Amino acid sequence: MKTFRHWFGSLYRVWRREFSLVLRDEGVLIFFLLLPTVYPLVYTLIYNPEVVHDLPVVIVDDCHTQRSRQLAQMADATSAIKIVGYATDINEARVCMDQKGCYSIMHIPTDYDLNINREKQSKVQFYCDMSLLIRYRAFLAALTDLSLASDTEIQQQIINTDSSPVANQAVILGNPAEGFASFIIPGLLILIIQQSLVLGITMLGGGAYERRRANNGIDPMAVKAPVVATILGKSLCYFTIYIPLIVYMLHFVPIIFDLPRVGSMSQWLPMVVPFTFAAIFMGMTLQPLVRQRETSMIVVVFTSLLFLFLSGITWPRYAMGWLWLAVGDIIPSTWAVNAFTRINSDGATLQQNMWPLIALWILCAIYLTTAIILHKKDWGLKKFR
Amino acid sequence: MKCASLIAVISRQLRQMCRQPVYVVAMLVIPLIMALFFLSLLGPGLPDRTPTAIVDLDNSSMSREIGRNLNAMSTINISHSADSYSQAIDMMNSGEIYGFFLIPDNFEQHTIAGLTPTLSYYCNMAYYIPGTLTYKGFKTIAVSTSGAVVKTTLLNVGVDERQVETMLQPIVIQDHPLGNPWTNYAIYLCNSFIPGLIALMVMMITAYSVCIEIKQHTSRQWLSTANGNIYTALIGKLLPQTVIFIIVGTFIQSLLWGYSHFPLNCNPLTMITAMMLLIVACQAFALTVCCIVPNLRLSLSIVSLVGILSFSIAGLSFPVESMYDSIGIFSHIIPLRHYFLIYADQALNGIDIYYSRIHFVALLAFPLVAAMLMWRLKPRLSNPVYIP
Repeated sequence: MKTFRHWFGSLYRVWRREFSLVLRDEGVLIFFLLLPTVYPLVYTLIYNPEVVHDLPVVIVDDCHTQRSRQLAQMADATSAIKIVGYATDINEARVCMDQKGCYSIMHIPTDYDLNINREKQSKVQFYCDMSLLIRYRAFLAALTDLSLASDTEIQQQIINTDSSPVANQAVILGNPAEGFASFIIPGLLILIIQQSLVLGITMLGGGAYERRRANNGIDPMAVKAPVVATILGKSLCYFTIYIPLIVYMLHFVPIIFDLPRVGSMSQWLPMVVPFTFAAIFMGMTLQPLVRQRETSMIVVVFTSLLFLFLSGITWPRYAMGWLWLAVGDIIPSTWAVNAFTRINSDGATLQQNMWPLIALWILCAIYLTTAIILHKKDWGLKKFR
Repeated sequence: MKCASLIAVISRQLRQMCRQPVYVVAMLVIPLIMALFFLSLLGPGLPDRTPTAIVDLDNSSMSREIGRNLNAMSTINISHSADSYSQAIDMMNSGEIYGFFLIPDNFEQHTIAGLTPTLSYYCNMAYYIPGTLTYKGFKTIAVSTSGAVVKTTLLNVGVDERQVETMLQPIVIQDHPLGNPWTNYAIYLCNSFIPGLIALMVMMITAYSVCIEIKQHTSRQWLSTANGNIYTALIGKLLPQTVIFIIVGTFIQSLLWGYSHFPLNCNPLTMITAMMLLIVACQAFALTVCCIVPNLRLSLSIVSLVGILSFSIAGLSFPVESMYDSIGIFSHIIPLRHYFLIYADQALNGIDIYYSRIHFVALLAFPLVAAMLMWRLKPRLSNPVYIP
């Protein structure tokens, strides 16, 4: 009983000491407070316009008929396309495109109207800049609507039917506005939690190592406690700091920017708790490997990009090879990004995301074990003594 | 600037780089691993065969034909079948599928009777790329199903088959994606994200190598090796890094355009020059930050935050013109933005270099700004104070 109480006592002392270490360390505060509060706002502000619309397009109208002008007007009426001018020929339009005056050229051929009247197929050419795929996507959607609308109109004139025999209805789930912020931000929020934790924790580890190097292998700021109590005490300290931040990021940021938020906190919170601990333990595992406060940044920052892609939010996981699937599986954010996106955006329940929840608890156990093993070994100490 | 002192600073820097593993990791290992990561991850180009489901409540010959047609689309793969709407939603919410196609009951009967039944399809746009591909595949089939019915009717009343085709689609809008006709995501993402990563690493290593001297109180020795000349000191320190990064960057470019055969519609030297300028501009950017905040932790934090944000703010995925003006304006001070626009103009679209002139000039402007702020750095190097 006494050892039990002693153990909890040291756990509490580690927790308290770590708190004061974090609060006194500006470098860590940048990662623990500034990054989670400011980054979500900055990212959402960048992507908040959500959709691209009124993209400049130049028309080359060789037909010059009422029907070709009507096609141009209909194109202009779509949300994606804005007709910024008419060019006499394709070369003039090309120059306009090179000067970034437009991103696409629509070429209506001489026989456009003639062919329709002859009941032959008319072909309109659309040349599109491909530097950004989101523009192409917007154009493509507009063109599909445009050709469907103009086809229906002409069909009505020719065959005199008033509707097609089968109607179709698209239902967009998860992100009904088809917006960019609505798509990427929920995943990024999860990633920010993990990356800021790992950055801050490795920086604390680097600081402790530097103190030991300066003091003959003894860290004057360390509390004498069993290894497991030290790791759990520190982890609980980070977790305490992150509770309000998690609520702010995952609950309030979507409200502030009106992002998809059909899931309830009761569904995602039980998943985010093991995720946060897994991320903390992952940071604690990396901690003994860091020898300097600042080097951690150089080797950790780039992983944000790696983990973003591994999570499958941008590039779907079903198209990945086994190697990258396996690498993704051992990263907590992979599971949490997918589970959170589905719960928050699609309104899924926790029960439907049982597998990510189990995986996160397994990762928690694995990273806790590795952290304990690495901290017990305490590589750096021997060198100083 | 004496040649001897410059060589002394360079050899001093080379010794440092050999001693500290972080240089090797950040300058060689990370850029190469990430380049291979992107190339192998995005290898297929387009994530075809999106897992989807069909909910066939009709089970007629017509509905089964729709199912077969759906499976023939390259973008989707009917990997599951559900008995009801709620079962399909359940599959979607647990991430097994990215969309489903619902055929209502009595579909065939209602179609023949002219009651206009509705085919509905559900796409999970929370996953942008799979959602879009699913939408595209489903919409094509839904529209062509309607077309097939019309075609049968018209043929039955004796309209000529060739004429039916025209009646169904009198206007065809043919889209020509210039430079990337395969709509290959690898071409698009590798050419923007890999240089972005190089830019990030260049900025961090530059800030690290300059400010670590202040932290470790070796900056005075560094300055004296350079005979007290700040320009010799900095050029000697940064030149070896510039050379190594240019070699790595050019090698990665050769992976993109040589090994992977991504479109390169310009003289390769143009893009190699752009890469050199990107690296120098990024070094200058980091140096500017170091001049303003000569503190290892702060300058490294700032360049890493900027480096990560530049993937977004440089408009690699969401266009700068569509951002808020007050945000988009910052894209001009990101070196990556100018490299990306040079890439789009030269390598992708192959237009005249005249149209990219402004971006070459912009990349050259970064070192000038850094040179103008150099006076701030010298006193800090002479009296190093480390603030943790």
